[in-house]
Amino acid sequence: MTAPLLSVRDLHVSFASEAGRVDAVRGVSFDLEPGRTLSIVGESGSGKSVTSLAIMGLLDDNAKVSGSIMFDGTELVGKGDKELSTLRGNGIAMIFQDPLTSLTPVYTIGDQLVEALTVHRSMSQADATARAIELLRMVGIPTPERRLKSFPHEFSGGMRQRVVIAIAMANNPKLIIADEPTTALDVTIQAQILDLIATAQRETGAAVIMITHDMGVVAKTADDVLVMYAGKPVEQAPVRELFHETRMPYSIGLLGAIPRVDKAEKTPLVPIKGNPPLLVNLPDECPFVARCPIATEACRTREPELRPIATAEGGAHLVACVRADEIEDGMIGGAPVYPVPELPTSALDRVPREDRPVTLDVRNMQKTFPLTKGAFLKRKVGEVHAVKGLTFDIREGETMAIVGESGCGKTTTLLQIMDLVTQTDGEITIAGTPVSTLHGGKAERAVRRDLQIVFQDPMGALDPRLTVADVIAEPLRAIGVPRAEADARVDELMDLVGLDPAHASRFPGAFSGGQRQRIGIARALATNPKIVVLDEPVSALDVSIQAGVINLLDELKVKLGLSYLFVAHDLSVVRHIADRVGVMYLGEFVEHGDVDAIFDNPQHPYTQALLSAIPVPDPDIERTRERIVLQGDLPSPTDRRDGCSFTSRCPLYKMLPPEQQSRCETEAPALKGSDAHANACHFR
Amino acid sequence: MIVVATNVTYFLAWAFLDPRSNYVGRRPPLSEDQINRLLEPRNLSDTMPLLQRWWGWFTDIVLHWNWGVSPTGQSVNGQIAYRMWVSGELVLGATIIAAVLGIAVGVYTASRQYKVADRVWQGISIVTMNIPIIVAALGIVLGAIAINDALGFRLFYVTGASSDGVTGFFPVLIDSLQHLVLPTIALVFIGYSSYHFLQRSLLLDNIKADYVRTARAKGLTKQQAIRKHALRTSLIPVATQLAFSIPTVFTGAVLTETIFAWNGMGRYFVQTIGTNDVHGVVAIAAFTAVLTAIGAILADVAVVVLDPRVRVS
Amino acid sequence: MTSATIQPPVGPDTTAARIPRKRIGTFRLYYRRFVRNRPAVAGVFVFAFLVLFAVVGPLIAQFSFSELDFLALGTPPDGTHWFGTAADGGDLFAQTAVGLQRSLMIALTVSIGTTVISAIVGTAAAYFGGTTERIILLIIHFLMVVPTFLILALVSSNAGGDWRVISAAMIFISWFFPARVIWTMALSLREREYVHAARYMGVPGMKIVLRHLLPNIGSLLVINFTLGVVGAVITETGLSFIGFGVKIPDVSLGSLIGIGANSLSSAPWTFYFPALALTLLTVSMALIADGLRDALDPTSAAGGRA
Repeated sequence: MTAPLLSVRDLHVSFASEAGRVDAVRGVSFDLEPGRTLSIVGESGSGKSVTSLAIMGLLDDNAKVSGSIMFDGTELVGKGDKELSTLRGNGIAMIFQDPLTSLTPVYTIGDQLVEALTVHRSMSQADATARAIELLRMVGIPTPERRLKSFPHEFSGGMRQRVVIAIAMANNPKLIIADEPTTALDVTIQAQILDLIATAQRETGAAVIMITHDMGVVAKTADDVLVMYAGKPVEQAPVRELFHETRMPYSIGLLGAIPRVDKAEKTPLVPIKGNPPLLVNLPDECPFVARCPIATEACRTREPELRPIATAEGGAHLVACVRADEIEDGMIGGAPVYPVPELPTSALDRVPREDRPVTLDVRNMQKTFPLTKGAFLKRKVGEVHAVKGLTFDIREGETMAIVGESGCGKTTTLLQIMDLVTQTDGEITIAGTPVSTLHGGKAERAVRRDLQIVFQDPMGALDPRLTVADVIAEPLRAIGVPRAEADARVDELMDLVGLDPAHASRFPGAFSGGQRQRIGIARALATNPKIVVLDEPVSALDVSIQAGVINLLDELKVKLGLSYLFVAHDLSVVRHIADRVGVMYLGEFVEHGDVDAIFDNPQHPYTQALLSAIPVPDPDIERTRERIVLQGDLPSPTDRRDGCSFTSRCPLYKMLPPEQQSRCETEAPALKGSDAHANACHFR
Repeated sequence: MIVVATNVTYFLAWAFLDPRSNYVGRRPPLSEDQINRLLEPRNLSDTMPLLQRWWGWFTDIVLHWNWGVSPTGQSVNGQIAYRMWVSGELVLGATIIAAVLGIAVGVYTASRQYKVADRVWQGISIVTMNIPIIVAALGIVLGAIAINDALGFRLFYVTGASSDGVTGFFPVLIDSLQHLVLPTIALVFIGYSSYHFLQRSLLLDNIKADYVRTARAKGLTKQQAIRKHALRTSLIPVATQLAFSIPTVFTGAVLTETIFAWNGMGRYFVQTIGTNDVHGVVAIAAFTAVLTAIGAILADVAVVVLDPRVRVS
Repeated sequence: MTSATIQPPVGPDTTAARIPRKRIGTFRLYYRRFVRNRPAVAGVFVFAFLVLFAVVGPLIAQFSFSELDFLALGTPPDGTHWFGTAADGGDLFAQTAVGLQRSLMIALTVSIGTTVISAIVGTAAAYFGGTTERIILLIIHFLMVVPTFLILALVSSNAGGDWRVISAAMIFISWFFPARVIWTMALSLREREYVHAARYMGVPGMKIVLRHLLPNIGSLLVINFTLGVVGAVITETGLSFIGFGVKIPDVSLGSLIGIGANSLSSAPWTFYFPALALTLLTVSMALIADGLRDALDPTSAAGGRA
C-alpha cells in the first residue's frame, strides 16, 4: 500500500454572506494514492467545487478554511498565496469547467502555454516553445506549430478544453483536479476528453480527482467515489460498491433518478422531493432528513457521522446514515426505499400510430443564415446551412424528440416552427392549419393557441418583474380571456403542475429552478395547446429535480392528450420520455423512427457513435462495453457538400473500399427505410 | 453626414445670427450703404438672397478651401489654424495626465477593493467628478492668487497662454509652463475621475473572470495574474475612451479657456456667437464634427489593435 | 449582490424552500440596500436641504432677487445682506436662492423629458428592429454629429434667456445619447427568453415593450434620470456662465458665477455662495445616483458592499 499522495482530514470551509455564515464544506476527509482516481459527486450546493478550490488555495480571501490538507508531505492549509503558487500548475494542476472562458482572450495559446512552463522553471524561449508544441501534439491538436499563434476564440469548445489539459499537464503534475471538465461539452467530445484525461493520467502516473454530477462519468472513470450532500460526505466507497451496494438513501435516490439509455422497459424515474437545504445555521440533524422517505426520529437527534459499514463486496465503505444497515439492494424492510410512482397509461397507447390525427406536420424545412465578415463594412462571405430539408410528423399523444449535438440545427428547427415561418419549398402544418395560409395577427394568434413552448433556462424564461400569476396568465390575456376566468385558470394550472396556488402572487426569484420550470410548463398549458415544444427543458436542472419534471411531463401528456416536440442532447432523457426520435447531424436527419428501434439497433454510424459515447451509470457495463470514439470536431456548417456530410468523421467510411468511398463523397444519402426506422447511409 | 450637418448649421446660424446688428447702433452711426459695403464682399449681407450667400460660401469651401471671413474681415481659416494649436497646447497635456492618473488610481484601488484606500479615493473622485469646471477653475484661480500674494511674486499666471516680451528658449518654456499649470490642474482635477471609475470597474469585473483563475491555477500569484491577465484585458475599453477623446483636444475647452483667457477654439466659439460671426460659427461646427468622427474611427482602430477577438467575425 | 462572498453554487436549483417566512418586497429590498450606503444617504439630506432652501429662501429673503440696493454695492456679508451683495447691489442671498430654484427647475424638467423620450425611443428601436431600428439609429447618429452645444447656445441666446425655451432645447439635444445606451441594453433584453415567450404567445409588439422591456430597464432609467439632473445642471450652468443661457434680469447659479468671476479677488463672496450651492447640488445628486446604482443594479461588481 503506497503512502497517500493527498490526505485531507476534516476540511471545513465557511464564508460570510448576507444571510449569515455559510458552511460550504463541513468535514471532508479522504486519502488519495498516486495513480488512482477519486470521483467527488454531488449536486449544486453540495460543496464539491469548494473542496477542490480549497485544495488549490483559490478561494476568495474571506473564506475560512480549517482542517488539514497534506500533499506529498506538506501541509497546505495556512500557506500563503506565494507558497501555494509554486505548487499550483506544478505539483497540483486543475482543469476547469467552462472552456469558453478559461483562457485569456488577448494572449495566444502559445503564450499561455509557455507561461505555464516558465513560471515554474527557467527555460529558454526556444525550449519552452518546443515543449509547448509537444504538449499540443499530445492532446491531439493538429498542426501544433501553427496553432501556437492562434487565439482562444479561434478554437471550438472541445479544442479549448484540450489546450487547458495541455496547460495542466505541462509540468507533469502529481495530482490533477478536474472540476466538471466535460459538462459544457457535447457527448462525443466528452468521450474524447475523458479519454484524454485518462491518457494524461497514465503518462504521468498522476492521481486524479474528478468532480462531476454525472453518475455515468463516475462509473467510467472512478476508482473510489465520495458522495457529497449539503457540504458533507454522506457516502464513500470504491466504485463498484457504490453502484451495487448503495447504502445512503440520498445516493440511492440519485441513482434512481437517472434515466438509462440502455434499458428498454420504461420504469418511472424516482424523484427526490424537496430541495437541498441552505447552508446557513444548519441544525444538528441529518441534512437529508426533510427529503428522505425512510427518516425516523433518530435521524433528527444528531447529525449522523460517517462510519464504516461492512458489505458483501468487502471494500472500505463509509456511510452517514443511521439506518444504513437495514438497507439492502435498494430495499428496506421488504419495500423499496423510494416509493415508485405509478406510470400513467393512456388510452391512446392502444391506438396504432397511423390512425391517430396529425398534430404537427413538417415538410422539407430549410433555413440558411448569411455569414458576414468585417467590423466596419459587413460583407457576405458565405452561408450557414442550418437546416437542410427536414421532414417529420407528430401524432396526437406522441412525443417526438430531435437529438443532436450543438450546431446541428435543432434549435433553429424549433424556432422556425415557433416563428411560423413559411417555407419556400415545403410546409409547416400546425393542428391542420398550414402556416403559409396565415395572414395577419388574428389568424396567427388563433394558431398559437395550439402551439406553445417551454424553454431551457428556467431563470431566463420568466420575467423577473411579473408575479407568477401574471406570468401564467399572459397567454390567456393575449387571446382576450377576461380577468376572472384567467385567475381561476391560473389556480387550476398551478395545481396541475404541483405548485401551491397560494404562492401565485410571488415573484419567480423566490422559487427554485425546478419550480420555475414547472411555472414555465403551467404557462405553456394555459391555452390548452395541442402541441408543446420543449427546448432542452431539463438540462439546466439537477438530476434529482430533473426526474420530478420528467415525470410531470409524462403525466400531463397522458392526462391532457398532448403531443410533445422535444429537443435535447441528453439521450438518456430522450430514451425515457420519447416515443419517436430523429437524430440530427448538420441540419438533416441521419436516422429517424421509433425510439426503441433506434436505441436498440442503431444503424447509422453517427447514431452508433453517439450512443456509445454516453457513459452508462454502471461500472461493470461501462468499462467493458465496446466503444466508438469519433475523431475530430464537427465540421463547419458553412461548407456545402455534395455527398454525405458525415464523411469527415465516419468510422465506416474509413473502412470502405475506394469505389464505395467515392459514392459517399458525391452522392448525398436520403432517408430510407420504414416509418418505424429510417436511416440516411448508403451502406446500412 | 458631416457635410449635411454642416450645411444645416449654416442655415441655422443665419437663422439666429445677424452680422448687420454688429454695425447697427454704432456711434457715429454708419449709413445703410456703408454697412452694405462692408458686409457684401464678405458674403455677410442680407441684401443678397440666402441661397446665393449659401452657394457662394459652399463653393468657396469646396473650390478654395476658404471658410470665409468674420464681420470684421478676419479670415476664418487663419483663426482656426492658429487657435487649434493653442487649444491643443492647453488640453493635450491635461488629457494625457488625467488619463494616466485615472488609470493608475483605478488599478490601485481595484486591488484594494473595499479597503480604506479604495473608499478614500472613491470619495475624492466622486466629488471631483461632479464639481462644475467653472467652480473648480475659479477656485483654483483664487487659490493661485492667494499663493502669489503670499510668495510676493507671480508664480502662477491666471490669464493668457504666454506673456509678451519673453525671448530665449528656456525663459519662453518656463513662462509657458507658468501659464499652463493652473488650467491643466483644473482640467485634470475634474477629468481624471472618469478614467478612475471606468478602469476600476472593468478591472474588478475581470479579476473575477475564469481566465484569471486559470492563470492562478497555473502557478501565478494573485498579483501576477491580475497584472498580466486581468489588466491587459481591462485596458481595451479604457484605451478606446482615450482614443476617442484625443481629437477633441483640438476643439478645446470652452469654459476653461474663457476663465483663463486662452485664445483657443473654445473661446473662439463664444466669441463667434457673440459677434454674429456666421462663417466662424459654421467653421467651428464643421471642425468639431470632423474631429469627433476621427475620434470614433481612432477608437474603432484601437479596439481592433488591442482586442484579437474583434479581428475575425 | 454578494455573489462575490458566497461561492455561487452551480445551477439555479440551490437554496431552500424559503417559502413561508418573511417575504421581502422588492422595494423594501432596494430601500435597505440604498440606506446602507452612507454617502448616498448624506446626499439625500443635502439635496433635500437645498430644495428647501430653493423653495423657502426667496420667501424669507429680505429683498427680492432683482432689487438693487444702491447703498450697498459689492458689500461683504453682514446683518442686512446675509450673503453680501453683488457689484450692482443685488442681494446675494435672494439671488442664490432664486438661482438655485431656476437651476433645479431646468434640470428636473430636462431630465424627466430626456429620460422619458430616450426610454421609449430606445426600447422601441431595439424591439422592433428592422427598418424602424435603422431609421431611429440614423437619426441618433446624425444628431450626434450635429454641433448640439452650438445649437443650444444659439437658440437660448435668441430666446432671451427664457427658461422654458432653454429646457426644451436641452431636452432636444440630450435625448439621443441615453437613447443609444438604452437601445444597447434593450437589445440584450430582447434576446431574453421571456421576451421570446411573450412573442410566441401572440402578445402584440408594443405591449411587449411596455410590459416586459421597460420595467426591466427601470433601474437603468432611474439611474439615468438622476445622472441626467447632474448633467443638466452642469450644462445649463456652463451655458449661463458664458452668457447664453439664463440672462439678466433672471438669475441662475451659472449666471451668478459668471458675474462673480469678474470681481473674483475683490468680492469673493459673490463667487463663494453660488459656487457652494452649485457644488453641493451636483455632488449630492451624484452621490444619490451612485447609491441608487448600487441598490438597484445587482450586476455592478464595483458597487459598494451590500
